[in-house]
Amino acid sequence: MGKIVKKFTQGASKTYITRNRALKKLQVSLADFRRLCILKGIYPVEPRNRKRANKGSTALTTFYYAKDIKLLLSEPLINKFREHKIFLRRLKNAIGKNDITRAKSLEDNRPQYTLDHLVVERYPTFIEALRDLDDALCMVFLFSTMPAKGPVDSKVIEECKRLSCEFMHYAIHTHSLRKVFLSIKGIYYQADIQGQPITWIVPYQFNQHVPQEVDFKIMGTFLEFYRTLLGFVNYRLYSSINLSYPPKIDQRMDDSAAGLGSLQIKSREIDDLIKSLPADAVADKSSIEVDESDEKAAEDSEKINERLSTLGSKIKSIVAAAASEETHEAPSYSAVESSAADDGDNVKPENLLFGKHVIFLSREVPRYSLEFVIRAFGGRLGWPTTSGGGSPYQETDNAITIQISDRPVLATQHPNRVYVQPQWVYDCVNARCLLDTADYLVGQKLPAHLSPFVEYAEGDYIPEAAIKMAAAAGFEGEVTTLQSDDRDEDGSEQQHSKSKNDIDSDDEEDNEDEEEEEEEADNDENEESDEGMDGESADEDEEASDEEEAARIKAEKQYQQQILAERAGLTFSEYQQKFGNKKSKAAAGSSAGAASNGNSNKSKRGASKRTKAQIDEEERERIAISMLSKKKRKLVNRTRDEEYKRSKDINALKVRKAEIQNGKKSKARK
Amino acid sequence: MAGKERKSTSKKRTVSGREEKPVATSKSEEFPKNTIIDMSSESEYDSSEDQEDDVIEGDFEDHSIIINAEDSDDDDEQEQEEEGESNDEIHSSDIEGASSEGEEADSEDLGSDSESDSELPLKRTTSRSTDGQATAVDSDSEAANDVLNDGETEHLLDEQDMKKLTIRDFGKDLESWREYRKTLPQIEPGYASDSSTEEPVNTIGNVPIEWYEDYPHIGYDVDGKRISKPATADELDKFLENMDNPDVFRTARDEVNQKDVTLSAKEIDIIRRIQGGDIPDADYDPYEDTVEWFTSQTMKTPLTGAPLTKRGFIPSKWEHKRVMQIVRAIRSGKITPGPPRPKPEKQAYDIWADADEEPKEDRRRRPRLAAPRLALPTHEESYHPPAEYLPTEEERAKWEATDPEDRKRSYLPRDFGSLRAVPGYSNFVNERFQRCLDLYLAPRMLKRTTNLNPDDFMPRLPDPRDLRPFPASESLVYTGHTGRVRSISVDPTGLWLLSGSDDGSVRLWELVTGRCARIWTLGGTVHAVAWCPNAEVSVFVAAVDSRVVVVVPSELCSSSHKMTVSEELVRSGFTTAAAQDEASDENLPVSWDVPTTAEQSTGIFISISMHKTVKSVTWHRRGDYLSTLTAEEGGGSVLIHQLSKHKSQRPFRKLKGAVQAVKFHPTKPWFLVTTQRYVRIYNLMQQRLVKTLQPGVKWISSVDVHPQGDNIIVGSYDKKLSWFDVDLSVKPYRSIRYHRQAIRQVQFSRRFPLFATASDDGTIQVYHGMVYDDLNQNPLIVPLKILRGHEIRNSLGVLDCVFHPIQPWLLSSGADGTIRLWT
Repeated sequence: MGKIVKKFTQGASKTYITRNRALKKLQVSLADFRRLCILKGIYPVEPRNRKRANKGSTALTTFYYAKDIKLLLSEPLINKFREHKIFLRRLKNAIGKNDITRAKSLEDNRPQYTLDHLVVERYPTFIEALRDLDDALCMVFLFSTMPAKGPVDSKVIEECKRLSCEFMHYAIHTHSLRKVFLSIKGIYYQADIQGQPITWIVPYQFNQHVPQEVDFKIMGTFLEFYRTLLGFVNYRLYSSINLSYPPKIDQRMDDSAAGLGSLQIKSREIDDLIKSLPADAVADKSSIEVDESDEKAAEDSEKINERLSTLGSKIKSIVAAAASEETHEAPSYSAVESSAADDGDNVKPENLLFGKHVIFLSREVPRYSLEFVIRAFGGRLGWPTTSGGGSPYQETDNAITIQISDRPVLATQHPNRVYVQPQWVYDCVNARCLLDTADYLVGQKLPAHLSPFVEYAEGDYIPEAAIKMAAAAGFEGEVTTLQSDDRDEDGSEQQHSKSKNDIDSDDEEDNEDEEEEEEEADNDENEESDEGMDGESADEDEEASDEEEAARIKAEKQYQQQILAERAGLTFSEYQQKFGNKKSKAAAGSSAGAASNGNSNKSKRGASKRTKAQIDEEERERIAISMLSKKKRKLVNRTRDEEYKRSKDINALKVRKAEIQNGKKSKARK
Repeated sequence: MAGKERKSTSKKRTVSGREEKPVATSKSEEFPKNTIIDMSSESEYDSSEDQEDDVIEGDFEDHSIIINAEDSDDDDEQEQEEEGESNDEIHSSDIEGASSEGEEADSEDLGSDSESDSELPLKRTTSRSTDGQATAVDSDSEAANDVLNDGETEHLLDEQDMKKLTIRDFGKDLESWREYRKTLPQIEPGYASDSSTEEPVNTIGNVPIEWYEDYPHIGYDVDGKRISKPATADELDKFLENMDNPDVFRTARDEVNQKDVTLSAKEIDIIRRIQGGDIPDADYDPYEDTVEWFTSQTMKTPLTGAPLTKRGFIPSKWEHKRVMQIVRAIRSGKITPGPPRPKPEKQAYDIWADADEEPKEDRRRRPRLAAPRLALPTHEESYHPPAEYLPTEEERAKWEATDPEDRKRSYLPRDFGSLRAVPGYSNFVNERFQRCLDLYLAPRMLKRTTNLNPDDFMPRLPDPRDLRPFPASESLVYTGHTGRVRSISVDPTGLWLLSGSDDGSVRLWELVTGRCARIWTLGGTVHAVAWCPNAEVSVFVAAVDSRVVVVVPSELCSSSHKMTVSEELVRSGFTTAAAQDEASDENLPVSWDVPTTAEQSTGIFISISMHKTVKSVTWHRRGDYLSTLTAEEGGGSVLIHQLSKHKSQRPFRKLKGAVQAVKFHPTKPWFLVTTQRYVRIYNLMQQRLVKTLQPGVKWISSVDVHPQGDNIIVGSYDKKLSWFDVDLSVKPYRSIRYHRQAIRQVQFSRRFPLFATASDDGTIQVYHGMVYDDLNQNPLIVPLKILRGHEIRNSLGVLDCVFHPIQPWLLSSGADGTIRLWT
């Protein structure tokens, strides 16, 4: 017999440690422990057997890996936290005793700590950090929109603003933005950075609602780490494209709400050059700076700005316009862009999506989002001074080809300019081509905005707009066959091609070559599913007689009924049993009534044949399942259930779509 | 006065050496031998008094001298001297006499004690410290019950008494001290001198006194002599004494010495004080006035007359120098208050400069589980989704009615039409917060979701098309019955079909055409019909209520030979039965009757009447024996009838539970009896149980045996079909559950490797059940076809099914009154 092993000294009880035991071991308070866990990225785990892990107790507890907690023991932060605790106590004492000098000196010597080491510890390689950047970006972008006098320190908000701006600049420089989606929650962006898809969401530009139940201490701790992480990530990203980091903020521009334009992006060489210059030469560095305005001018403009804040808005706009005229020739970003483009990117701005357009944003559109998106796709843009300073173009500029406006009616329209709604920009990005502006003209009812993140599996429901968009992405030939049943579509198609000729050039298609292949595949699928979905409607002829029409409607109704029955949980065979008699009667009637209607007959026969085959298949499968062992049967049934649920959802969408179409048709007939 | 006595014995021992010497007549010799060199002079008098009290009162009552505190030692000695020789002895042994005189002294002591006590306050004004000492010793002593005995305190006083005989006592009389020293052996002032270690009278030590219960003695004294048990008064005396003695309440029993000890008032007082947590000494004053050793009054004149120094009035030079140093430094600008120290700015640098491109794998550390990414938004989340994604009114209401935590989506899809109409999302911060919580509070676990393809699990069954022929489609429906068709049977030639129904009729059908050839109306529910398996005859039986009728249908007998053989078989019994009637078992509830002439004309030859309803009828393969099963509990339900001899037997005297079905084995002389849960196989020849099959189902409905005899299928009301290999195990080789309702009937085909199950869900399932001759090869079971057609009436579907004896056809009858032929 082997040595008797004492209970709970090996295995799960050693691998895991409960939270309370961890607290005891680390000698920290729960709040500190939580902070540590957040900063170090330590998460609770679920042991395979809770009872064994908790030394025989079944009490409800959280478990951590004992090794993780061991790792925390040697964490220098623990000591820093203790120091801070003592510092707080001293400070409190000093303040309580009204010892101001002591309190001040204490405050000056406030214990500092950095989280730098945690960044490398958690993400040993840069790629890992990139992979985990989603949450960090979401948080930083959220806090950059938080009210300055809210629950968060305004300095933190400033830093968040800076970090988010820097990151967006990188995305603009490398043109790495891929997808954009206007959701009801905010705007989703997806960038492809060094092969990693990074998705983040930015709330709409409104004052953030700060709920009571949210614990900003926890969020602040997360943000603390995310800020550090994003700082390093930004540094690395900037240095990877040979830009100096951190970029200087042009205070003047920033004050005039220039947004992205307030960052002075310099390439590294210039920075190095400045550093290498002797000290006396540095005083004259303004000549080297990209921004052409000299110090004096900057001072002047600062003064002006100060005055502006007190003046009325009318004068303000006039002066701002004057100021922007000064910088008109060399807008800050365009200069940098050219330098960045020279550095390594072979992408010429003209080859990008909006590369050949000058876009003007009206006052009412979300400027920051559109600026980011348009610039990331090579567009040049201007905006009115009312929505921020630093605009390189005025509304009256003749170079402007597209104006983005979001009003029901436009008072004045400039010639040689297309007025579109903002959705056009986002849809173009998602479609990876310039879409027909006809659908997006101001005042027009917009086509549905779809999520670019949805990937269609086989048999999934594909909304009509997706099919249209795929078609618009450059397959006119196939599109015509696809959309032949829709008269309206044809019209738009023509319009589309016309307008495309206006706006587009052939270069774009070269760019989209790779995408074409993908989309072709997509399109094929779409086509199939479309046919499967409503085959009857696809077969329909425009010159069909009334009889045919009636038969078609009947068939459609039947199909809908089928779907409804399926939704109600009836299997097809059950449905057949239920409606079999009715159906056969109807079939007899219809065949008698419209013997000439070969089309409908054929489809019906096809349907019946298919159902028989289906029944056979179904039955065989059911028989086979009955032969399985219980375990396997359950497994199979579960997967089948999932499939069934999925198909149920898809069917529900199909049904609703059919209902909507029917409603439209009946309206049209009236 | 146990303590005292103990003391005295110890004294005795210590002075035993001296006793051997000739007794000195000098004064000094009369002093008690003191072993303690007393350092305290205070308590001498009192203790001496005490001792003398004891001595005098305890031992020499006649003298009864009370000595005042003023009495000198010398007086004492003189007095004691007067006592004579014995006095010396007494002195040396303290109060040795007490021990010899026994308890009589005790009671007498009481009075004197109290007397002395009454005097004590007077005498003890100065003896506080002594008493304190005494109590201290008391508390130290181990014999707890004895501690406060009168004797003990007295003994302590004795000790004091002894203490007084120090060199001081002999102060002036050094000569006598020397004498005294000479006469006394040197005693080590160690343990022996300590009163607490002095031996008790009884030296048995710390053993229970009960051990001595049976002995005449209670222990041993220091010399090892037995201390005899004092005479004990009987209960009555004790009682009387208790009644008489006013001190009963203060009397305690000293178990070791088997004596009653009466406590003095002082002792009781001490006990009370200890109990109350007070200081035991009544005279001790804890709140004495303090003695001020050093005065708190300021002196009017100082101790020293030294004048004040100059140093005390002029400022320090060095301090001034130091201050000036700082002043100069400030002036010269070396010390500046300066602007507040700038906080170190966070410097960004390439933190991954040394890092590898590829993540290293640390084997010692568990790989970190990255938190799952948030799900990407779908079309529903769009600000302007396609119309079909918008919720209907019901969905909206449902969403609003559900708790926010239970909602599938945190938002409701909405169409804003244009971007300008989109408001801020109020839940944004909340959702981020929830995400944060998830990141650090939610346990992470690696769940492997295998992308299972259910087709991989599917058993690899041969294609049913390869296993043809089997009944696959309905080809004929026999209609005519108005009630449920409970039972059908095909005749051995395969030409005729017989059906028995609830409408009381038995119908004969031409199998191939579906023509109803004949109807017997038997006036009762026909539970079972069964053709005789003997192909040479044309006989069938039908169970009508509690009667089984044997019918020879005349129109079937194509040849007259067959008819005669059949009739002979059926009729032969009447002659033999008459002879055997007497011999046969009388108490069998069966009677073989000749039916009425009307019935005879329809072909009914015999009517076997039983007491209970006959549920089923089964033929033996030879066609001579048939078994009936009646609806009753116990062994009487199963009967085996012999047609040729008109004889009935009851094979089982008793049977457990209700029998569901019976079956003859096709090859062996076995008989299958199916109870609710088990199938029991009996050997009829040897009359013993062969096997009990356990299908593990709740309620068996039907059973059938494979024509080769080694395999049995069992259908159950709980939807399960079990296949048994009888040679292999009593547990099912395969359990198949397909039917949605109870299985009513299971049936093997006699000719093809087929079997079928009929169920209440209105379906018949046809299986391929191949049994190989090779014993190593397991039987192959393949589901082939589900036959649908029967309608469900009152939740009853297909009631019976039978395979055609020659063709791969199946016949089934249902609750809908139809019989169907499947080919």
